[in-house]
Amino acid sequence: MYQLKPIPARVAAIREKYRTTKPKIDINRYRLVTEFYMDNPGLTGILKRAKTLRLLFEKMPVLINEDEVIVGWQGASYRCCALYPETSFNWFMQELRSGNIPNRSVDPYDIDPEDEKYLLETGDYWDKNSMSAMTDEYMPEGLKDLVGNMVIFFGLKNNCQSPVGHFCGNFWTATRKGFGAIAREAREHMKELEEKGIFGDSIYAYNFYRAVAIVSEGIIIWSKRYAAEAARLAELESRPERKKELLEMADTLNWIMENPCRNFHDALQCIYLYQLALCMDGQQHGTSYGRVDQYLGEYLDRDLAEGVITEEYAQELMDLFYLKVAECNKVWSEGATKSAPGYTSGQLMTMGGIHKDGTDATNRVTYMMLQSAGRLVLHDPPQALRIHKGTPAELWEAAIATTRIAGGVPSFENDDVIIPALMKRGVSLEDARNYCVVGCVEPLACGCEWAQPGGTGTESYMNLLNCLLLAINDGKNPFRFPGAPEPQRSAPATGYLYEMKSMEEVLAAYKTQVDFFCKWQCSCINAWESMSAFHMNLPMLSATMEGCMESGRDVQCGGAKYNSTGNSCIALGNVADALNVIDYVCFREKLATTRELYDAVMNNWEGSEELRQIINGRVPRFGNADPEADKYMNFTASTYANAINRATGPRGNRFSAGCYPVTANVLFGAMTWASPDGRKTGEPLSDGISPVQGMDKNGPISTIHSILSFDQTEYPNGTLCNMKFHPTALRGEDGTMKLKSVMQTFFNGGGMELQLNIISSDTLRDAQTHPENYKDLVVRVAGFSAYFVEVFKASQDDLIRRTEMGL
Amino acid sequence: MDESKLTGRLYDIQGFSVQDGPGVRTTAFLKGCPLRCPWCHSPESQEFYPQLSWIGLRCQGVELCKSRCMKACPKGAIELGSIREDPVKGDKVQMVHVKRDLCDNCGKCADVCYPAALYMCGKDYTVDELVRRLLQDKAFYETSGGGVTISGGEALSQPEFTLEVLKRLKAEGIHTALDTTGYASWQTVEKVLPYVDLFLYDLKHMDSEKHKAVIGVPNEPILDNAKKLAAAGAKLQVRIPVIPMFNNDEANIRKTAEFCKSLGDAVVSVQLLPYHNLGVMKYLRISDKPVAEATPPTDAFMEKLKGIMSEYGLHVTIH
Repeated sequence: MYQLKPIPARVAAIREKYRTTKPKIDINRYRLVTEFYMDNPGLTGILKRAKTLRLLFEKMPVLINEDEVIVGWQGASYRCCALYPETSFNWFMQELRSGNIPNRSVDPYDIDPEDEKYLLETGDYWDKNSMSAMTDEYMPEGLKDLVGNMVIFFGLKNNCQSPVGHFCGNFWTATRKGFGAIAREAREHMKELEEKGIFGDSIYAYNFYRAVAIVSEGIIIWSKRYAAEAARLAELESRPERKKELLEMADTLNWIMENPCRNFHDALQCIYLYQLALCMDGQQHGTSYGRVDQYLGEYLDRDLAEGVITEEYAQELMDLFYLKVAECNKVWSEGATKSAPGYTSGQLMTMGGIHKDGTDATNRVTYMMLQSAGRLVLHDPPQALRIHKGTPAELWEAAIATTRIAGGVPSFENDDVIIPALMKRGVSLEDARNYCVVGCVEPLACGCEWAQPGGTGTESYMNLLNCLLLAINDGKNPFRFPGAPEPQRSAPATGYLYEMKSMEEVLAAYKTQVDFFCKWQCSCINAWESMSAFHMNLPMLSATMEGCMESGRDVQCGGAKYNSTGNSCIALGNVADALNVIDYVCFREKLATTRELYDAVMNNWEGSEELRQIINGRVPRFGNADPEADKYMNFTASTYANAINRATGPRGNRFSAGCYPVTANVLFGAMTWASPDGRKTGEPLSDGISPVQGMDKNGPISTIHSILSFDQTEYPNGTLCNMKFHPTALRGEDGTMKLKSVMQTFFNGGGMELQLNIISSDTLRDAQTHPENYKDLVVRVAGFSAYFVEVFKASQDDLIRRTEMGL
Repeated sequence: MDESKLTGRLYDIQGFSVQDGPGVRTTAFLKGCPLRCPWCHSPESQEFYPQLSWIGLRCQGVELCKSRCMKACPKGAIELGSIREDPVKGDKVQMVHVKRDLCDNCGKCADVCYPAALYMCGKDYTVDELVRRLLQDKAFYETSGGGVTISGGEALSQPEFTLEVLKRLKAEGIHTALDTTGYASWQTVEKVLPYVDLFLYDLKHMDSEKHKAVIGVPNEPILDNAKKLAAAGAKLQVRIPVIPMFNNDEANIRKTAEFCKSLGDAVVSVQLLPYHNLGVMKYLRISDKPVAEATPPTDAFMEKLKGIMSEYGLHVTIH
């Protein structure tokens, strides 16, 4: 039986502090960045970003809290959060002015009055100087004719307000090579170019190397500042053990970053600090750790063999590392927060899987990661476990036990589908085998691919149900906010449902809309990328990313070995059901005419309740192993994937399709008109590749049959499949094994990703009523886990509805 | 007779059935049973005829459906019932109530109740239809070491159909389990024997008088069939529902253990199933009659019984 070991006292104390500290806004980063931008209006391009980051390394406060061993922070107090005004800021200023930030329903933040005053005085500077403002200027002109379509979320103003740093650095380079060597290499390139003459386009490479040198030397300075702080605290420390520990920390911090790591402690501190630097430079949300067990395993084995560390102390360090990552959070707009609640920073870690040679990669650290996630009951950082045919039984058991304790942690990723999916977008077999997962569920070649999987944030999602509504309403979206003018055409005029004579015409109209909006979606993302490539370079990431130092180009300019751009759709299940309903009701069984169904939908089912009940009660739905219904899922899934996967981007890259809503399915549902699948205006959309909530009536096995009805390798940007199991279904001696075999069957049949909630709806209801008793109840919301009591009400309800299906 | 045209009557098919035999299974529940166990948690399994069932949670209220069921009923057997408050949304729903003394299970109300709050329990399948449905989950049986369980009701009360389905499953190489009360003629049991890998065999009481008084039938045929099955080399997983005030006294438990031991290697395990009252609400789906309810045994009590039975060298599990 898998068991959790007891938590050391100081770990428990820090965990308690983590759970009880309300995050606050810290303006140190904001002040440094704002002043630098204001003082240097003429400085643009990669050096602006390099010098900004260098300044942060030199000037940010260094903070070592009580009892910490793994250190580094982006503010002056525990669990505070930094601001990133250079991407977008007017949403923040609006919320600040309205007094919303400390009081909002989801993820409120405290803020000091002095800091608030400074923000109010300076914040408007970013109105015209943020990436968002510049992106607005560069959006393609034709977008003005698409206003109101609500399939894509690019518009004329306020684009890209919730950008995400969905990338993963190369931590092998950071730990094994060090930034001293990287800076020297960059300087050698510069010297060589200066000697030869910086002719032709080599000036771009020269600028790039210069930026890399600046930030690589900067991160060494930062680490040494922490070393000095640790040494200072050691001086003041009276407890001999802690004094010794602080001196060891000082030694590590003095050594790492400049030099290759010597041991487990060095490596753990190095990956934490490098990751923190990437977060501080880029957008911290979803900036992922990659294959943590693979970076650390060798160091730990060697330390244990040499007797310089005990397993217990290594586990304690791992706990402290996890708590440090969990502490990271980022303030988002209230709207965006609703799609990713719970003070999460989404720094996904990947474990398990296979080596580049195809052999099993499980090691001691793999188990230690599960142990920390389980015994600390953390929803953050999220964990992804790679499964393959040779995954050890012991690891399966540990993972399922962990997922029962810490709802949905880890998620399970199928190597046998993801590796071929990555190869379809051009990644080599070896590099595909070395994939990790970033953000929620998005796979990429670890340390060598710039996959832009989260795109610009909110805008990376496409609401396919609106494609269907536009298809049957002559290109006009029936949804409008109260008081808004009559909807205008915002899409191709594909006619009205009541003019369509056959199912083929309906499908053709839908496909026209999907093709049209996928084209626009990718065009808009490319417009944003053209700006990123100039204004938001990431030299700190490029310093380690395989391909960049070789090519002399930043990741944003196509320097990485592999390039792609991710996208995600929402509402596959609703569209599949809606198409099947149209076919069944209007053409096959003739229960209603196309006119009747059209009118019913456009009237939000008012006056057509009987038809709606027939649709909800009698028409076969996706999710029940019904071949007719599943056929439309296949059509819906492939129509979108084909349209996305053939688009290309400015880095010589392809786009790649995905389907993971986080909780945007609830948010977008609120702004989507009624649909032929019986859904009323405002109700949530279906979650990931799962069936419409409440419509999978035949249990998990039938649901799995249906979900496997489309080719998931066409979704290289990841799919998300939430499955709920009632705890009683898994009790008994072999409950774990039975669950494992269901998951294995899902994977053998072509399933890509699976995450579990093993929890009863009664428990969730009780948690809604008595949140005080359920502070530590972790549930898988979507692409991430959260503390249930911190999720907003509509998502809680959605989760309860889905959970009840397991009964 | 063309066996594939043979039909059987089922009240449910359940995938991901993890309590009815090894591995992940799909269980076909056949309708109709000669026994009347008062604790039965599937009361809809008892009668052989299709029954009108009612699940209040699904009822969307007469305001929304304009009382279609009431209008459809030729007997006037449906009236306004209680009001339900939705715990999530907080709105009130006026539900209906079936007057059972007037209802003749014609199903006309179920035809128009689209959310299936009113539905007919009991559906006929041909052998082909059922086997095709059961084979759909084959991949799950293979990875988990599972298979199909034929359960009831009492499946042996539909002997030809059950036999034909089991034959077809064996021909496909599927592991089969038969969940049975054991109350059938030996001729019937003997026929299915070659096609059943594991019998989930219920033993309710060792005293035939008490057995008959409470359940309605004596236990001799059940015990005899168990002995004959053991002698014929069948494998039995004995299931004992532990019912307060009926069979949970030490004397009966010891007698049951002795009997299991006397069957020798045939008994692969003994499952103690603690009484639970989750079935109580299911009675309300098909009837208004009050149901006897007992307090479920405690974990400690179940452990004690497990200890007693283990003394006889049996492999005992709880649940």
